[in-house]
Amino acid sequence: MTTASIYRPEWSTTIDPVLQKELEQHVLVTNWPKFLDMIDTFYNWGRRSSLWPLGFGLACCAIEMICTASSRFDIARFGAEVFRGSPRQADVMIVSGTVTKTMMPMIARLYDQMPEPKYVISMGACATGGGPFKEGYNVVSGIDKYLPVDVYIPGCPPTPQALLNGVIMLQKKIDGEKGSLLLPGREKEMRTPWYQEALDREVPVPVLGPDLIDLRLLEATAEKTAMGLMEAHEANLPKPPKIPAPQPEVAAVESSAAPAAAAPKAPSKIDLIRAKSQAATATDGEPAAAPAEPAAKPAAKPGAKKPKKAEAKPTLVWLGDEGLKQLSDRLDQKFGGGTSTIVQAGLLIPAAKLIDVCLYLRDENVIRYDYLASLQSVHYEDCIEVNYQLDSTIDPGKVIELRVRVNEAEGQGELPSVVSIWRGADFQEREVYDMMGIQFTGHPELKRILMWDGYAYFPLRKDFLEPYYEGPTKVFDSRVEDGRHFRAEEINPYGTNLKVPKDYNDWKSLVAADDTKGKNFLPSGVEISELDTDQFIISMGPQHPSTHGVFRMNLRVDGETIVGLKPVMGYMHRNHEKIGERNTFLMNFPFTDRLDYLTSMGNNFGYALAVEQLMGDDAKPPERAEYIRVIMAELTRIASHMWSIGFLLNDLGAFFTPALYAIEERELILDLFEWAAGSRMMCNYFRFGGVAFDLPPGWVERCHGIVFDRLDGKIDELDHYLSRNEIVMDRCRGIGVLSREDAINYSTAGPVLRASGVAYDVRRAAPYSIYDRFDFNVITGSKGDLYDRYYVRLVEMRESVKILKQALRDLPDGPILPGKKSYQIKVPAGEAYSRVENPKGELGYYVVADGSSTAYRYHVRSPSFINLTALERMCLGHTVADVVGILGSLDIVLGEVDR
Amino acid sequence: MLTFLGLTALLIKIGLVVGISQGAVAYLIYVERKIAAYAQDRIGPNRCGREFGVPLGLIQPLADGAKMILKEDVIPKYVHKPTFILAPMIAIVTATIGFAVVPFGPVGAGAPRLGADWPVQFQIAPGVDIGIVYILAIGSLAVYAVVLAGWSSNNKYSFLGGLRSSAQLISYEIPMGLSILGIVLLAKSLDLNTIIEWQDRHGWGIFWQPVGFLIFLVSAFAETNRLPFDLPESEQELVGGFHTEYSAMKFGMFFLGEYLHVITVSFLTVILFFGGWDLPFVLSADQTSWISAIFKVIVMMSKVSLMIVFIMWIRWTLPRFRYDTLMNLAWKSLLPLGLLNLTITAVAAQMILGG
Repeated sequence: MTTASIYRPEWSTTIDPVLQKELEQHVLVTNWPKFLDMIDTFYNWGRRSSLWPLGFGLACCAIEMICTASSRFDIARFGAEVFRGSPRQADVMIVSGTVTKTMMPMIARLYDQMPEPKYVISMGACATGGGPFKEGYNVVSGIDKYLPVDVYIPGCPPTPQALLNGVIMLQKKIDGEKGSLLLPGREKEMRTPWYQEALDREVPVPVLGPDLIDLRLLEATAEKTAMGLMEAHEANLPKPPKIPAPQPEVAAVESSAAPAAAAPKAPSKIDLIRAKSQAATATDGEPAAAPAEPAAKPAAKPGAKKPKKAEAKPTLVWLGDEGLKQLSDRLDQKFGGGTSTIVQAGLLIPAAKLIDVCLYLRDENVIRYDYLASLQSVHYEDCIEVNYQLDSTIDPGKVIELRVRVNEAEGQGELPSVVSIWRGADFQEREVYDMMGIQFTGHPELKRILMWDGYAYFPLRKDFLEPYYEGPTKVFDSRVEDGRHFRAEEINPYGTNLKVPKDYNDWKSLVAADDTKGKNFLPSGVEISELDTDQFIISMGPQHPSTHGVFRMNLRVDGETIVGLKPVMGYMHRNHEKIGERNTFLMNFPFTDRLDYLTSMGNNFGYALAVEQLMGDDAKPPERAEYIRVIMAELTRIASHMWSIGFLLNDLGAFFTPALYAIEERELILDLFEWAAGSRMMCNYFRFGGVAFDLPPGWVERCHGIVFDRLDGKIDELDHYLSRNEIVMDRCRGIGVLSREDAINYSTAGPVLRASGVAYDVRRAAPYSIYDRFDFNVITGSKGDLYDRYYVRLVEMRESVKILKQALRDLPDGPILPGKKSYQIKVPAGEAYSRVENPKGELGYYVVADGSSTAYRYHVRSPSFINLTALERMCLGHTVADVVGILGSLDIVLGEVDR
Repeated sequence: MLTFLGLTALLIKIGLVVGISQGAVAYLIYVERKIAAYAQDRIGPNRCGREFGVPLGLIQPLADGAKMILKEDVIPKYVHKPTFILAPMIAIVTATIGFAVVPFGPVGAGAPRLGADWPVQFQIAPGVDIGIVYILAIGSLAVYAVVLAGWSSNNKYSFLGGLRSSAQLISYEIPMGLSILGIVLLAKSLDLNTIIEWQDRHGWGIFWQPVGFLIFLVSAFAETNRLPFDLPESEQELVGGFHTEYSAMKFGMFFLGEYLHVITVSFLTVILFFGGWDLPFVLSADQTSWISAIFKVIVMMSKVSLMIVFIMWIRWTLPRFRYDTLMNLAWKSLLPLGLLNLTITAVAAQMILGG
């Protein structure tokens, strides 16, 4: 109110200000502008009280977004619980998680499809500015590079309370909007974009070319590329070192007739293992089991101390030196001399003989190696090594490692594909192709899996530097040194996370509407139709209510029947492994949290085991730490299975009710985590040789209360209401059957494998930590269908409770770390593969250390990713509705699938 | 002959019914959200309107409505525009005109009178002999809304939704019709009011026709596209199903249409199987006083409300059927059961009750 009174010509008088105020308060006396203001108020109130979010989650933050809708936080109080799957019906887009380059075109398109007035909440550090994954080559440094953002929420991930606060902030912002409604007489006041005809409201959809290209900046990008600014910039940066591949122990090869003693069993990774190392071994007097042996300097690590080397063994529980020797001899006999050479406790096989050897190992060997646990590649100075961890489901715990070496030069490496032997190699070989550029001959569909066809680089090669690369090891100078603090954008010549090779000149081919990522994965037609019907292709995802994140399936359907399915992934590829090579070992813990963001404790566990294997006795956890670890891991399993069962039911159509009841239990467990570790979801709780903090006073009692008094009852409740439900049984029985043989052959793991009747649980097959002390059963199903996968998870929770009860009973006092808390850890050179039974299945970490402070190669064998290999097989012939259920029963988490 | 006064009264009635039902729908959405909240151990909307002193988020529907009406109405370039616009209209029109023959209270001889000559009929079109047929016919028209929406959207999810809906709604018409025939045979009338009065004399339909009631209930869920039969829109599978491409109030109209359907179906259930306004030993067709009429309306509305709450409760409790099981249920279970029920009823009505 600026004027003191209103002039009414028809009254020819002025109103007493007091009276006017009175009137305004109790009677609607108004003039046209004020009336418009009132309409504005009403309009704003309507919009702010009915903010329907787009049901669309990207990464870890999406989990917290779902929790915000759960009973504990209940975003419904603000009228904002109506998550719409279709952008046409949504008002606010909550960008919840890391925005990757692969996903960015989709997000821009979704934003364009939303009707005005629309809002964007940038949830979490990643969406706001790239967050911890900023240096990733596939990560967009903040959604605001493309979309206008209304509210930023800090946190990684922000807690549900923070999201609620974000919603309140957005409501305040809407309250303050003026002139947002087009009314006669106010055309000039219109400040809101959606009535301005002239304004091009659409956000331009960026294009996946050689990198993510913003079409608005196309010319500048092309110009800078042609000038070669990036190459010039990179020339001045310190390059990451390359180490030579480990070579066979000379003595071991020569004296093959002599009994293999314990002494020569520690070949190092570094070049010292060549002839010179013999002298070093002779002078070394330390016990063989301990990591020992001071060795020569690694080639390109200035300042690094003489690295120790770790005990050579592929993983904690394995075949053993003796067995390996015999196996090697058998192979040599069968396929001629030189077929296998023992290199650092693995068998080096020539590429030409790989298929024969693998077939022999699977079908004829004494121990039938029918299970390909993991497959990964390492880029060495002189070769790219692909190695295979094999185990037997019949006689578990006899892991061996095969190594095959190919040409190091980019695009030159070629290997026979083992897909015909273990189909589980399918996605993993594609990943190696995608990341290292190795061709697998005989692979049925060798296309890039995480990045897109047309991406200019093979990112995990050592000579690939990310656009924001500053040095081989974090912490980067730019982050700490005084006076030189700068943002990564300021150094990159493009000013953003972008890198295009100098010789790229195909700029004209970049078209906005192009579906670069998915168009290569269209399932081919199958003739099954009884009627003369047309089949058509549905792209399910990456934004879809039931894909559990940004997963995408291209379905070919005949009516409702699936006749073809091709998964498209990589929409959440945030370069975990590359970042892991830059992080120091300790620094990598929080990143493992963000792999399978529902099971951060379990992820920590696996990573800790891998590095502890390298560190040997230096990092042997004390008793109390072991118990705490097991307690945390089992609590995680319950939380994860709860979530999984809840959302499986949600996928089957039970609208969120079972999910929210399951989340309630999970919240209790998260509270325990928060109490012990300081964070609900991203616990970052494990340390090498123990855990970060001791349990706070009162923690054990509370945990005791939950485990002994509550969980059993709640599991029974789920069992009671869900397991015998007629519709659940009808929807689940006989759907998505995976036979025992297929389950093994596809390298599925965890509940998926066990539901098919294979009693293979890493906790039993290759016991780690102190799992050998507990009494629990390995739960198996019989039919391998959707129902079995559901039920195995349910019963596994009971077993976890059983373990928890024993662990809580026996939890000893004592230290939680073997030594002092240390921020500088020394990891001896070597190679380790750790396996833990995560809720999703076997989680493996493959770490190659070169004696420096970072991992030389860091690979995650993610169960979600490999379980997806079997998806197509399970889905064919079922209906669209079943696909959703089957995917739900695989229980994938996209952070882990795409890493 | 429709006199001027009669016409006025009719218009008033139409206005009342349409107004109240649309308002009720808005509040049903609120109620549904609250029921969902209670089913899921939450609170549900409670903030909206606090700045105006309204408790419990009671004006949440108003906010939703205001937002929806004023939101940008996107008509994508690739849709078939006339049909795309027509579909939500069909949805809401078919859902509304079904109320024409629904008695909200006493009708006919039992109606209270204003003076001697003016019976006040609690029905827009009293004395329609084929009330049930009319409702079923209008109900089948509603399928056009979904099918046209699904087809015109030119979107694969919508298309699948439309496909599912055409098969589902048409299939469930048949068991639904069969289940109603039993009670129609007993009451010997297609007029809803006559059926209520018959139940008033003989006892509620659910006791005479328990099997018919079950079949009707299942079909009713399917007809209203509610869980566990909400296949045409099934959010977890088809994103939004037939209304994926619809925004703003066009989407709102589908929403309204769905809830209007729920109301209609609840009315039908109450009228056919729970005696309509009848309350044993208390209210009967012979009472024609105003007080009894008002009581009858209250009883009727309470029963309908309970039925609506029941339908909502189911939605937040059960998982969804799969398309083929749904069809199997209709054709292989409900249809034979319905036929059997009809045959037995017909024979029994003839033999025992004597024609």
